[in-house]
Parts: sequence; C-alpha cells; structure tokens
Amino acid sequence: MTSITPTQATVPPRPKRSGGGSFGRSDRRLAGILLSPALALIALVAAYPIFYAIWLSLNEYSVRVPGLQRFAGADNYREAIGPSFWDAFGNTMLFTGVSVALELVIGLAMAVAMHSAFKGRGLLRATVLVPWATITAVTAITWRSIFEPGLGFAPQVLEKIGIAEDVIWLGENGYAMAVLILADVWKTAPFMALLLLAGLQVIPEDVYEAAKVDGATTWQRFLRITIPLLIPAILVALIFRTLDALRIFDLPKVLTDGSNGTNVLSLLAYQELTDNRLIGLGAALSVLTFVIVMVVSFLYIRFVGGNIKTLAED
Amino acid sequence: MQNDARPARRTLARHDFEEPDMIRPFLRHATLGLATILSAALIAVGCGGDDDDDNGGNGGSGGDDTSQITASDEPATGDIVLCMGKDTSGIHRPTLAKFNAANPDANATLVELPESADEQRTQLVQRLRAESDECDVLALDVIWTAEFAAQDWLADVSQLVDDRKDEFIESTLATGEFEDKYFAVPFNSNAGFVYYRTDQVDEVPETWEALYEEANEYNGLTYQGSRYEGLTVHFLELLYSAGGEVLNDDGSESTADADTTREVLQFMVDGIEDGAVPRATLTYKEEEARRAFEAGTVTFMRNWPYAYSLGQDVPAIKGKFEVAPFPAFGDSDAASVLGGYNLAVSSYSDNEEGAAALINFLTAMEAQVNYGANATPPVLTAAYDDKAVTDALPFAEVLRDSIEQGRSRPVSPVYPQISEAISTNVYSALSGDATVDAAVKKMDEDITKALATF
Repeated sequence: MTSITPTQATVPPRPKRSGGGSFGRSDRRLAGILLSPALALIALVAAYPIFYAIWLSLNEYSVRVPGLQRFAGADNYREAIGPSFWDAFGNTMLFTGVSVALELVIGLAMAVAMHSAFKGRGLLRATVLVPWATITAVTAITWRSIFEPGLGFAPQVLEKIGIAEDVIWLGENGYAMAVLILADVWKTAPFMALLLLAGLQVIPEDVYEAAKVDGATTWQRFLRITIPLLIPAILVALIFRTLDALRIFDLPKVLTDGSNGTNVLSLLAYQELTDNRLIGLGAALSVLTFVIVMVVSFLYIRFVGGNIKTLAED
Repeated sequence: MQNDARPARRTLARHDFEEPDMIRPFLRHATLGLATILSAALIAVGCGGDDDDDNGGNGGSGGDDTSQITASDEPATGDIVLCMGKDTSGIHRPTLAKFNAANPDANATLVELPESADEQRTQLVQRLRAESDECDVLALDVIWTAEFAAQDWLADVSQLVDDRKDEFIESTLATGEFEDKYFAVPFNSNAGFVYYRTDQVDEVPETWEALYEEANEYNGLTYQGSRYEGLTVHFLELLYSAGGEVLNDDGSESTADADTTREVLQFMVDGIEDGAVPRATLTYKEEEARRAFEAGTVTFMRNWPYAYSLGQDVPAIKGKFEVAPFPAFGDSDAASVLGGYNLAVSSYSDNEEGAAALINFLTAMEAQVNYGANATPPVLTAAYDDKAVTDALPFAEVLRDSIEQGRSRPVSPVYPQISEAISTNVYSALSGDATVDAAVKKMDEDITKALATF
C-alpha cells in the first residue's frame, strides 16, 4: 500500500489507463496466483506426458520377464534411427510437402470462388465444407472402397477411359502415396480455403477500386493486391496444415496400414508401441516425431512470425 | 462481410463435437489422428505407467507358478466376469444365463470388448498391466497365449485340460500351451478353406501346385495378401504344408533361412507374376477377398468359414460354390493354421474356482454343440457329429478335417514381432520390392532380432 499511494499521488489525472504496461509488484503476484491453476493444468496434461515419454524412451521394458526393466540410455534411439525410420521420415516429408502445396493452390482457388459475389454463394460455401466435416477414418474407408481393385469406382472409370488400366492403386508404391495425398487434399483443401477466405474478407474493397481506376486488369489485381495482402493468412494456414500433415496417422492407418511406401512416423511409433509392446523403442520414436514437429514449427514461427511483423509494418 | 464468415465457423465447430457419436468404431483412430504427438506420449504413459508396481507386486495370486487351477465338484459361487469380444451372434449371454441357472449361488456376467481382435488385445493388456481384478475369465485369440503367459498374467490351467484331454480336437490344445504348461483351454476354433466355384471346376486339386495351374486356366485364386496377420497365416499354411518351420522346437532360434522357405515364397511370387493369383490380392483382407469371390471374379479363394453362409445369400454365386480342406504342397501333407479363441483365468482373478467352473461349462459338450448350432466352430471332436451342428455348418466334416490338420502359429512371447517379420518380408517379395532370396534372409534376420528382444 505504501508504495502505491505516492505513485497515485504523483499522477492523479490518469489513475488507470489500460495498456499502460506497468504493473505493481502485488499486481504481478496476483497475476501469478491467478495463472497458477492454468499453468499447473498445462504441466499436468502437456509437460508431464512429454517428460514421461522421454524418460520411457531412455529405458527398456521386458516383454519376456514380468516387471523387468533396465536403463538403456541412447540404445532405443540408436535402434529407432534405422532404415524403417528413414523410410517413414521420407514418406512423411513427401506427403507433407506435396499435400500441403496442393491444398494451398486448390484452397486458394476455392477461397477466391467463395469470396466472389454470385447467386448460390451460400450453397457453395456449405458444400465445399462437407469433406472437411467428414471424419478422417470415414474418409479413408470411402477412398479405400473407391480404389478397390476391379470393384471400386475409380479403377472402373479409369479402365473405361483407358488410363492406368492395370494399376492396383493401394497395392503399389507411389500409387498408394498418390491416393493418400489425394484423400488428404480432398479432405483438407476446404479447411485451407476457409482460412484464406477469412484473409480475403479483410482486404478493403477500395484498394481494388483504386486499382481499377488505374486500369489494372483482373489478373494484375490478383497478383499485385490479393496475393501480397493475403500472405499473412497464407502463412498461418501453412503452419496449421504442415504441422497437421507431419503427424498424419488415421489416413494411412486405414488406407494401407503403412504398406507400399506409406508408412509415416506416427504410424511407426504406434506399431512399436501398441502392436509390439516395445515401450522404450515406441517412446523413442514418439519423441523423435515430436522433435521433428517442434523443429519445423520453430522454423515456421521464426521465419513466418518475422514476416508477418514486417508485412504489418509495411 | 465479417458476418458471412461466422456461420461457416459455427458449422465446423458443431461437426467437430458430433464426431465421437457418429461413428464409434473409428473413434480411436480419429482421436489419435487429432493429436498424434501428444497421444503417442500419452500411450507411452498409459502402457508404461505401472512398471514400478510390477516390480513390487509380482507375488500376485498367479505369480507363483506352483498354484494350479483345479475344478471342484461343488456348484460354483460368487461373481464371475467373462471378458471377451463383442457378442455379435448374441449367443454368449444366454449361455451364461444357463450357467447361472445351474449354479444358483454364482453370478456370471459378460464384459464385452471391441469387435476387432487388435482392440481386444489392447484393452486386455491395459487391464492386466494395471493388475485389474475386473475380469476372471479372458477370451484370448489363440496367438496371445505365450505373450500373456510370459507376463504372469494367466493362471496355470493344466489340471483343467488334463482332466478332459481326450475330448478336445488335439491340434487345438497346442494353442493354449506355453513352456510345457497349459495357460488356456480351447473355446472355439477356426481353420481356412479353399472355396471353389462348382460351375467352373469339379473339385479342388490335391496339391497347391495343381491348384495354381488350374487357377491360371480359370479365373484365378485369391487370398488375404495385404501386409498383415492374414498374410502371415496364409504363408504359414503353405510353409507348414511344405514341411517348413520358422522357429526351432523350443522357439529359441529362427529356422526361416531355409530352402523350403525360399521354395514356398518363390511359388507364391510366381503365382502373382503368372496371373494365377490376381495382383489385386495384395490389397485384400478377408472382406475384400470375399467381395471379389462374391462378384464372381475368381474361381478359388482362401478364406475362413464365415464366408460360406454369407455367400449363400449372394444370387451370383448361390449354390455354385463349395469348400474343401487345403491341398498338400508337393509330396508333403496338407496343413492349415488355426484361428479361434481360448479361455484363460486371469492371475488377478479373485474367484479362481468360479472361473474354472465357468470354463468347464463353456467347453462342455452341451455348450459347444450350442455354439456349433450357431455357426461358431466347436473344439470338441464329438460336437461335429451332432445334427444341430451339421445343420448349421453344412461343411462340418470338412471343417473338422481342416482343424485336425491345423497347426499353431509360432508360440512365442514376441509373436507380434515374428508375425510382422513374416508378413512384411513375404509382402515385399510378392510386391516385387525384394527378391525371394533377400526377403527370406531379411525375414530370418528380423525373426532373430525379435527373439533377442529384452
């Protein structure tokens, strides 16, 4: 109290101004007290599992002798980083790169279409979102049926047209990945479109009008106005999708269960952990996946965060 | 303008919350997909959370391997909980009601686990690791016995088996055996058949070689060729028939790196390459193979008995197909690989006598005939002669033959890894990713590595 009273006395005309930024010591303590339940909760549900997974990954738990365990140091990591890890790593990166790129292009086209004013726009917006609202496992089962050899819709149509006649889509390397990417793009391009649509809607109309007066064509307006002003939204959408794609699990689990060049990191960790009950090895793979996702998100936030700031300043 | 975006966002949020209720079986996949990293960490926690307790609590009721479960002549008493997969046929609850009527002081109830075997295993492992006494009797897939017994999760039921050894089909007993003791009593069995189109061929040839030749002339043979347990089973069917083995007698060493393994794998690869087996088979599990057979696209199919009655409902093939036991491989004897479920007593059960009484009741002739009459293959030899069973399973005789020539899959606490070593490497040879020789060497290496697991 004693420390506050003189402060208030020296600045009587503006006793409280929000956003002033300076808190007293007791304010800070109060903030700490108020935040502590939330921090404790985060520690419990996020930090504890992460550190426990790291601890598990440093130990070995016997599947032969009940209750036997031993400290393994880096052994699990040494075993984890083998050909199947690199295989899954490559597949995950390929899947992430291609699917996110396609989703960006298609999502942008969808967003622009949804943004322009025409009759039935509301209907289009609702329709476009249907794939995204479908549960991923259901999506995967649907695509698996569509590509079922001989009986599925896709092979029958393709055979009529005369393209890829003898391909067993989910049974061959490359093709299986193509179906996986297709299913993911089908499902999540609308999500991308939604994020970009939000970005489009904050671009002021008068900028376009000014450009029109200056004689800019539609294409020029798109390239010179829409894209630059949309970049913050694009970057945010990219972060979301990239991190999602890096931990993809359900689509490959249901479509191929990781066969034919579609094994991804999360699936590999799951197989060791649940199927083989190798807790140490599975935990090591989980931690590695976690680190990869961390690194990518860190890079994004460094790179993208800076970009958004500069863009905002411009 | 901003108003336009809002309804869309609200729609998304609502769908998000509806997910769990819409499709229950996929809930787990969906959940895992949503937050794989965190959940992977959480799985690790869930699986490993009790290891300290394991060290201390090892002296649980079943931990001392001297204690054997014995049956008593007195009526059973107390609560007995049977944990098994979903009662899809609706046969199990009435059977338990009969048990309760015969044992007025006992109360047997059913805890239904998910329908898929993998999910059942996950749930049982979770309960047993936590030393839960919820389940007294466990219905175990025949391939889990060694894994569960090695963890001291199962009580020794050798006495129950020895008392009635002659009644069971001999081959089924081996699936409950681990380190010269019985840890599970056969409950229901299963073995594959060759389904064949009677309007195209008269009978199934006597050897796999001749079958492949005939398949090539007609519309081919299909089996479960996807990279999973089903492919392990079919490969072992051929390998066992050819006289091969993947493990030595005491299960301590891999014997996969052998000429027989190469011969069998080469045979399967040739079948795919020359068209006797359509390439699409590489994506088939049971259901896909059944659909292909029902669509009339193949002449022969390897599948489990369940496809028989379903096929009778399909006009395109109704009355145009039959089943036969597997042919032999070359000069060797025919062999099949056993499926089905066994009953075991949980180490953490607090009513072992009641559990023993329930197991004896469920594996007795009356219950077994009743299961057979409901198209669940019995494990007692004599049950197959009962008219109620032959009426429900028109192929009862063929089925008993198949089960009698049946063999267990490798008995080992690390069976999941062994199976993965087999299916992964057989698959890479079939799909052309690896040569037969490389695949066999890798299989041997992977099995050796699995056997060396800590």
